[in-house]
Amino acid sequence: MATQPSDNTEFPPDIILKPLALIGLSGLDTVNNAIHKTIWDAFSNNRRPDRASVRFKLLNNTFEFPVVKPKRNSYEWYIPKGILKKNWIQKRVSLIPALVVIFYDMEWNDPQWNEKIIECASRVQSIRAAVEGHATRVAVVVVQSGLSPPPSEYMLGAERAQALCSACEIQSKSLFVLPHSDHLMGYIIRLENAFYDIAQNYYHHETKNIKQHRDHLNKTTHHYLFVRHQFKLGFLNELKQDLSTAHKHYMHAYNNLLETRQVDTNIHEIRTVAGYINYKLCKLLFALNLARDAIAQLKSHIERYKNRIGPTELLFEHYAWIARQYSAFGELFDEAIRVGLPGIQSQHPGFYYQHAAQFTVKRRQAMRSVCCEAQQYPPPPDPMEGIVEFYGQRPWRPGRLSADPHDPQKEQAAILALQYNERVFNHSAVIISFLGSAISQFKTFHSPRMRKQLVVEMANEYYYCADYGKALTLLSHMLWDYRKEKWWFLASHVLNRALQCAYLSAKIHDYIQLSIEALSKNIQVPNNDKDRIFRNIISVLNLNVPAPEHDLPASSQGKALELWGMAIDKEPHIVTIDMVNIASFLEIKTKFKQQKYRMDELIEIEIFARLTYNTILEIKTAILTISSNTETIEIPITDNDNSIIKLEGCSVKKFLCKFKTNSHDNGSELSIKNVSFILDSDKKRKIIMNFKIEDNKSLPIIHPELLHFILSPKNDYEFDCIVPLTTTFITSRECRLSIGIDNAVPALQGEWFPTTFTVTNNEDSLVYDMTIVLSLLSSPDNANPETVTELSFKQGEPQSPPLKLLIGNVNKASTYSNKFYLKTNRTATATVQIKVSYNIDLNETPKLECVKDFTTKISVIKPFEVSTNFVTMNFKPVSKCFVDDPFIVMPQIKILSPWDLLILDTELETVDCFKYADDKKPPSCISNLQVAEKNIASDAICIQAKYKPKDLPTRVGLYNIRWRRKTNTDGSIVMSSTALSGITIDDCPISIEVNYPEVVDLQTSVPLKCTLIGNTNTTIRLNLSVEGTDAYMFSGYKKFSVTVPPKDKVELCYNIHPLVAGNTVPPRIKATVLGENSRQEVIKEMFEKIFPQNIFVMPKYNK
Amino acid sequence: MAVCVAVIGKDNSPLYIGGIGNDTSTDNELSRQWLVHTALDALEERLATTNSNNATASANAARTDLRDLYLGLLYSTDTHKIYGYVTNTKIKLVLVTSSTSPSGSNIRDAEVRTALRRLHALYADAICNPFHLPGDQIISQKFDRQVKSLMVNNV
Repeated sequence: MATQPSDNTEFPPDIILKPLALIGLSGLDTVNNAIHKTIWDAFSNNRRPDRASVRFKLLNNTFEFPVVKPKRNSYEWYIPKGILKKNWIQKRVSLIPALVVIFYDMEWNDPQWNEKIIECASRVQSIRAAVEGHATRVAVVVVQSGLSPPPSEYMLGAERAQALCSACEIQSKSLFVLPHSDHLMGYIIRLENAFYDIAQNYYHHETKNIKQHRDHLNKTTHHYLFVRHQFKLGFLNELKQDLSTAHKHYMHAYNNLLETRQVDTNIHEIRTVAGYINYKLCKLLFALNLARDAIAQLKSHIERYKNRIGPTELLFEHYAWIARQYSAFGELFDEAIRVGLPGIQSQHPGFYYQHAAQFTVKRRQAMRSVCCEAQQYPPPPDPMEGIVEFYGQRPWRPGRLSADPHDPQKEQAAILALQYNERVFNHSAVIISFLGSAISQFKTFHSPRMRKQLVVEMANEYYYCADYGKALTLLSHMLWDYRKEKWWFLASHVLNRALQCAYLSAKIHDYIQLSIEALSKNIQVPNNDKDRIFRNIISVLNLNVPAPEHDLPASSQGKALELWGMAIDKEPHIVTIDMVNIASFLEIKTKFKQQKYRMDELIEIEIFARLTYNTILEIKTAILTISSNTETIEIPITDNDNSIIKLEGCSVKKFLCKFKTNSHDNGSELSIKNVSFILDSDKKRKIIMNFKIEDNKSLPIIHPELLHFILSPKNDYEFDCIVPLTTTFITSRECRLSIGIDNAVPALQGEWFPTTFTVTNNEDSLVYDMTIVLSLLSSPDNANPETVTELSFKQGEPQSPPLKLLIGNVNKASTYSNKFYLKTNRTATATVQIKVSYNIDLNETPKLECVKDFTTKISVIKPFEVSTNFVTMNFKPVSKCFVDDPFIVMPQIKILSPWDLLILDTELETVDCFKYADDKKPPSCISNLQVAEKNIASDAICIQAKYKPKDLPTRVGLYNIRWRRKTNTDGSIVMSSTALSGITIDDCPISIEVNYPEVVDLQTSVPLKCTLIGNTNTTIRLNLSVEGTDAYMFSGYKKFSVTVPPKDKVELCYNIHPLVAGNTVPPRIKATVLGENSRQEVIKEMFEKIFPQNIFVMPKYNK
Repeated sequence: MAVCVAVIGKDNSPLYIGGIGNDTSTDNELSRQWLVHTALDALEERLATTNSNNATASANAARTDLRDLYLGLLYSTDTHKIYGYVTNTKIKLVLVTSSTSPSGSNIRDAEVRTALRRLHALYADAICNPFHLPGDQIISQKFDRQVKSLMVNNV
């Protein structure tokens, strides 16, 4: 494409570039003067968008301004030779500055002030002379070091500035001072804005000049000038950055142009200029943020010029022009989007690029119809040579306005030259570049399918320009998408073109893959010529050159044959086709016969193959790939042990694969990964058709129930109904061992409960490496059994679970037996799992591992319940005890166990504040006691409180019972502990000891000693009175007061003499505390408790 | 008049594409299919935006049900106008009119709406056929006849 002649429709850069006010800088020596260089760089470099729209040009001494044309006083005899002069814009943007700035180094207090001022004035004069005739403004910048203060605060400066102005004949506002020391950039920007103002002023002045011409014009001969002047006004306003006024003038120019009389000789000029003006209009509308108006402008523009075709011999020029209008608009639109205009799916630059491509296609069509005769370039003189002064004019007749060609021969040669140029023009390259731009736009604006269509068109272009490799690449990508969305018609179209490309570029892999896909029932091929395609596949397999595709460009056929001749017996020898991704003529479904297999079973896989294309296909080798967790195996597929498989067209063939599992596979999943069918012709080449079996998820869901009604051949129906099953689960072999459990449930809480289990080998042979693992299983009512239950093979020695037992060999029909113990502290059912695993040699598989889980449930109950009673020394129930006052604890053991128990011993471990009332620990009342269910064993222990604790004790102590089952004579003894409930403790300031007898004889005096003991550190004074009764006489103080000294005792002695026999109330002492009242109740209670309510009096036995 | 109607499945595969025109050549069929296929871009974009709008106001679930199935003009080219309609089961109906013929260019929106509603009804009838497998292409002479007459008479 490097030799591509330039496309005449392209817009000149003058039109495309944004006009910027031109400002000339003179007097800066950027080569030798560092300060001048910095100033120039500050002006010209890093021009960010926020800076003023100006362009600076460095004017050296030799710069020449364009010569001013003599001013025309009358337009009466003037006939313009064209619409827009090519050099006018150029002059405006780079040759005639709006302002020339003269830089001059000078300090206000310069010693050679007078010389300086003269030199400066002469420089200004010379510039003035150079721009003579132009209205270009002049300004002077005095470059200073910035040490002296500004003229406004500096008398000398102000004076000298004034002097300088008058010497240079400039206004004081055209004189600037630039200190170059600090803040240079700030000064530069301020200067720049000041220059910009002057420039705008200048351009405004220029527009006024042009407007004056208008009065001289008339519509008959000066039609072109109406356009030209309005265009100039528009352009000057653009330079002035007055965009809306510019737009107004361009619009006038555009409308004036429309009114211009159009003939074949000026059509090219008119539409060229119209294109430029339209471009300017659209550009300004986008800049003014009027995108809708821009689009409308383009539409009406195309509409107006669509039918202005011009001479038919040059029809292609018309289409080239339209294509350029669209593409240029697309670029403008794209640029506008890049600076922030939002595009939408239905309106974006892609459409315009697409139109550009479409009209370029039309251009090519036009070329084909009109340029057939243009076989060679016309002989010299070259009609295309010649300088053209105006945009869009023909070089062979510049400046001619008359409608009829003045030199028909020259005209003929010129048309031939244009036609020849068009013939050699590479349209495809242009179309491809337009399509490329459109594709990226459609991609950006969420139109993937539109993009695909354009890519296919692009591929077609590559096909037309014989770049088959690129076309094939594009098409194979697009084929994928159409296939995925099942647009088979479009897919067929793409595929056929791709197949042509593959043939023409002799790419064997692509050729085979596309041919195979072409045989699919979904794909339509031209002339329904699938037999040829199938024969071609077989040819390639046999290393023969395939027959050509239909409708190939004749020019490429010979080349293709050559390529095939070279490639046919070369690499790739093995062509691997991924069949799942393409629509093909062969379909595969695979299915495990069962969802689960046991280790000792043979795994069976059914493979169904349907050939939808009517032929006989001979498969040399077929392989099924299976994978498990650990490995991948390949299994040959055979057809009744015949390794060559013949598939018949339009029928379904079923194959069965059987294989044994590997011992590692136990408990894992097997899945079918791949089925490969290999075509082989015993030459070097093989075609491997791989059917990758994916997860079920991605496959379409099959509803066999819906297929019932479908009118299809029975074979098809059956095939369609097959639901693939590509994974299976391998479970271990069934275990033929049994277990017997022997134990005496329920177990009792706390005991080591023995269980005997017996494993019987019911297998047909010896089993070996047997292992038994015992563990506790959690259950809803016993969530964490390990925390409360212990397991062991030895009584009394807990072992950490799980318990393992290596047993070894167990012969056929023999048994193994063992016993384990379980101890639990919780009354809940304990579940014990007995997991037996072993190896066995079977005929097919040696060392097959089998596992079986047995469970046994053991319910646990309490052996007994303990409750407590508290009684006084005379067995009266009490609810309260006093410090140092002994009382009796009576634990009662209620037996719940269904088994007879033997209570070996009991003891009470008192808490701190209690102690035994006796000096040493008394023996248990119920040792060696044999008890049965529902019996109650009562114990009695005499204890007393040592002191009154702060808080009430919750319990008296731990009651330990040592027991065992009666039957279990050798078993270990179980100790169960129960907490006995607490009793209120109180203390009394005194304690009393009275030796009341239980029984007395009638008429016999009994001495009664009552000892009061002080428990506190203070003396206690009591008022005592004896409450006498009729049944007794007594001697001693009846009413008196006594003082009990601290930590000492007082003894009171009485004699009582019973008068009547039977149950009697004895005399009792009552006491009241003198003084302190708070202890009154306690002491009263104490006396009440200590003195008996009754005494039995024995009658006297009379002899 | 309508030049082409298409029924497109929920997975965007074509279920039926019918066109009338003097020319039944492959090129014509191809351009017709391109036209319908590319219309899916605009259709999907519409659906995506309506869905996201609904998602923000998901409380108004009832409004989603009442969504107008007729999507209106999807886009127009120099030669054709393409209208869309989406059923609640995401079956897309596309109707193409020619903007060059006088009857096609002056068509009113309401007419297209009615035509697409009728097409929806015809489609529903067609797939009620127990011999039709849901998701397969609609191969029914009756449906074809009815659709063609709809294209000629109504639009």
